[in-house]
Amino acid sequence: MTRPTHEPPAAPVRPATDAVRVLAVGGEAGPGPLQSLRQWAAELEVELEWAADLPRATRLLAGGHWDLVLAVLGDRSDEELTWWTDALRGAPGGPRLIALADRPSMGLALRAEKLGVLDVLALPLKREALANALARVRSAVTEVAVPLPPVEVDAEGHYALVGQSPAMLDVYKLMARVAHSSATVLVQGESGTGKEVVARTIHEHGPAAKGAFVAVNCAAIPENLLESELFGHEKGAFTGAVARKIGRFEQAAGGTLFLDEIADMSLALQAKILRAVQEREIERVGGGESIPVTVRLIAATNRDLQTEIAQGRFREDLYYRLAVVTIQLPRLVDRGDDLLLLIAHFARQFAQRYGKRIEALSDRALELLRHHQWVGNVRELRNVIERATIVATDGTLRTEHLPDELRAEEPGVPERTAGGLPTLAEAEARHIARVLAHTGGQIGAAADVLGIHRNTLTRKMKEYGL
Amino acid sequence: MPLRGLLLSSARPDERVQWGSGGPYLTVGKREIEPGELTRLMGPVLTAVAEHVAALFATYVGALEAQQRGDSPGAVAALVEAGRLEERVGRLTQAPAWYEVALALAETLQDRRPEVETLLAFGRACLALGQYALGARHYQRALVLSEAEFDQSAAIDASMGLGDAALECGYWSGAQAWYERTLRLTEAGDDRLRLGRIEHRLGLLARRRGDLAAAGERLRHARECLEPLSAGAGHEMARVLDAQGELEGALGRPGPAAAAFREALAWVRHDEPDPGAAGEGLDVTIRLHLAELLLDTGRLLEAEEEMRRAEQLAITSHQTRALVRIYTLLGGLRGRQGDETGFVFFEQAIALCRALEGPPVDEARAYHAYGLFRQTSGGPDEARAYLERAREIFRSLGVDAEVERVEAELQALSA
Repeated sequence: MTRPTHEPPAAPVRPATDAVRVLAVGGEAGPGPLQSLRQWAAELEVELEWAADLPRATRLLAGGHWDLVLAVLGDRSDEELTWWTDALRGAPGGPRLIALADRPSMGLALRAEKLGVLDVLALPLKREALANALARVRSAVTEVAVPLPPVEVDAEGHYALVGQSPAMLDVYKLMARVAHSSATVLVQGESGTGKEVVARTIHEHGPAAKGAFVAVNCAAIPENLLESELFGHEKGAFTGAVARKIGRFEQAAGGTLFLDEIADMSLALQAKILRAVQEREIERVGGGESIPVTVRLIAATNRDLQTEIAQGRFREDLYYRLAVVTIQLPRLVDRGDDLLLLIAHFARQFAQRYGKRIEALSDRALELLRHHQWVGNVRELRNVIERATIVATDGTLRTEHLPDELRAEEPGVPERTAGGLPTLAEAEARHIARVLAHTGGQIGAAADVLGIHRNTLTRKMKEYGL
Repeated sequence: MPLRGLLLSSARPDERVQWGSGGPYLTVGKREIEPGELTRLMGPVLTAVAEHVAALFATYVGALEAQQRGDSPGAVAALVEAGRLEERVGRLTQAPAWYEVALALAETLQDRRPEVETLLAFGRACLALGQYALGARHYQRALVLSEAEFDQSAAIDASMGLGDAALECGYWSGAQAWYERTLRLTEAGDDRLRLGRIEHRLGLLARRRGDLAAAGERLRHARECLEPLSAGAGHEMARVLDAQGELEGALGRPGPAAAAFREALAWVRHDEPDPGAAGEGLDVTIRLHLAELLLDTGRLLEAEEEMRRAEQLAITSHQTRALVRIYTLLGGLRGRQGDETGFVFFEQAIALCRALEGPPVDEARAYHAYGLFRQTSGGPDEARAYLERAREIFRSLGVDAEVERVEAELQALSA
């Protein structure tokens, strides 16, 4: 192997050959865990390069177009797996990772799956296992470009409403009815469904359109700062009040105040909001003067406020003040072909921002996007398309441009078992991992979902290496 | 400190709120603690705390015993070792107390070598705490004594430390003189690790002075010195490549810059098998430089992703002080996006500065960035107040270059 230099890497170029370009890292070129690889390279149509260690591998990755990285994991396999998936993010060619480990645990395999690793193979490496993985890499090359449809939007830029699904048409009708009034509106919907976009659109088409649209994200601002952010404060009102501050209510005077994630507010602050809505006046923190304010209020939440009220976490009187009109936004998975329109809209928006021209999406990428659960709804989709647009090298967004987590969901990927159906233990480990992911790693909540004691769950997690 | 670190590292972001509108503003203060996880990790952490306290007592007893048998140099060595133990577990503010006692004892000895050793350790601790003037005084004294003792190795360390203090304070010509002197002293021997280090520092200095060609040349020399060293030079290589990344960024070459940062990360990983001691936050620093590069080139999404990875790394590897820099940068990112809610990151950074008793220079930088943020989002009164606070801290540290910079910004604000 020639010793890599420290010169800046040349622009990555994909070689003309159809051979899969593989970078093997760790192990030894001579006798070692990967010794057979060189012998198989020609018959498996693999262009193989070795890097003895991580720094050299990083240089090679930066300087060329790779399809696959074979990395030998050491004693801290979990950590190394995370390191590798991070290191390969944004590498030219979007290479997939195959992790090689001595006796890989079930926990490692599941974590690898979650990270979008192509496969975890046991050492010593078997020819058939490698051939199967290479077949999956090759199959990804055959993607057909699907032209992006034209999209009509009613606004420019960041806050456009896109979609023609029946669920969204109902939303548009309701928005049109309330926009011209000054009624308080409550927008409900899961995270990322576009509540702020709806609020802005109502503002822009309403009587307060000439005034300011001021948004406050109640979930983002710590409780101890939220009151002064909303109502302002006088200089010296508390430690850190270095100057008089005009709050968002006052900033929004004559316009619209949008209170996002209002259910994240404490009951004490809810009472102050209620007073401001009822009395149409506020008091700055540390100030004794009542200041009249006239604002249109639009509130939003991703929680079920009726449940919050029943559990004593939300004031019922405030709810009735806010929910004069309620708009319920649909989940992205319930919006049918809006998905493709949104993809087209975001792809063009980001292509313009990053100086690119994106005209198509591959069939396999579209299939992956259609099957994804979109927990983060449109916000998540927007993020995925922005990232794909950044890394795309021509006019088509392909699977290689999608995040590893999404690529891991590719239909037809076999489950990691020795062959055939999974064992009971494998199925149980997989299910526990899914439930833990669903509960954000909370063991107590996961035990509740699984219907077992938390000690039992902890024992099983240890047993499966989760 | 370890218990606070445990609390932070066992806290997890709630994945269900990741895509909520509050998700982009999540900080360590908004994470949730899983009691089971905390209980599971508590045992090893308490053991580590007990081991640390036991080791401290053992060195202290060792110092007393040495003193009783009339071995004062041995007592000094034990006290210095106690200071190093404190530094090793991140208790930077506690280390100087040990060095002070060691120094008082060393000053009474005829043999000056224990005093030199103490002064070098003390100087390094001061620089880590951002006490540059005090650090420089210790290094200066160490230099005088080591030259009198013909201790070349200590003289090299002392003049390097003086260069570092001058570099941090922005005294470019002073730093240049000290580093060149260190280079001359080092070239007399064949210590490639030291040569690499000093070439790296000269490269950093040249870049800060705007002489990018000279910086490139110095960093190339540094790599040539360090790369052949098979073991133990990985972190030094990482520092050099980190500087190379910053240099490439300054030359407007984002591709090679990113490649250099990525390789720097690989060198940290290559050299450091112990996850708990990952080179004083070097990996986090490199990631933040990469994030700054992405920020400067308008790749905001990737910049944020990199900052979040640095945040996760800082939390899980107990580098909690690094969170101050991370949140300061995240606040700056939101400022670039015109997002007023970004102020939450500066508030979190400042709260962490107070809670963790980190280097005051980080607090000054957080106030400085907060002031710049408030210039465009908030109001001139708040902006001025934060910039004045930053100036006050920089002035107390003797970082004149930063004081001048902040004063210029304050004047522009008043104009």
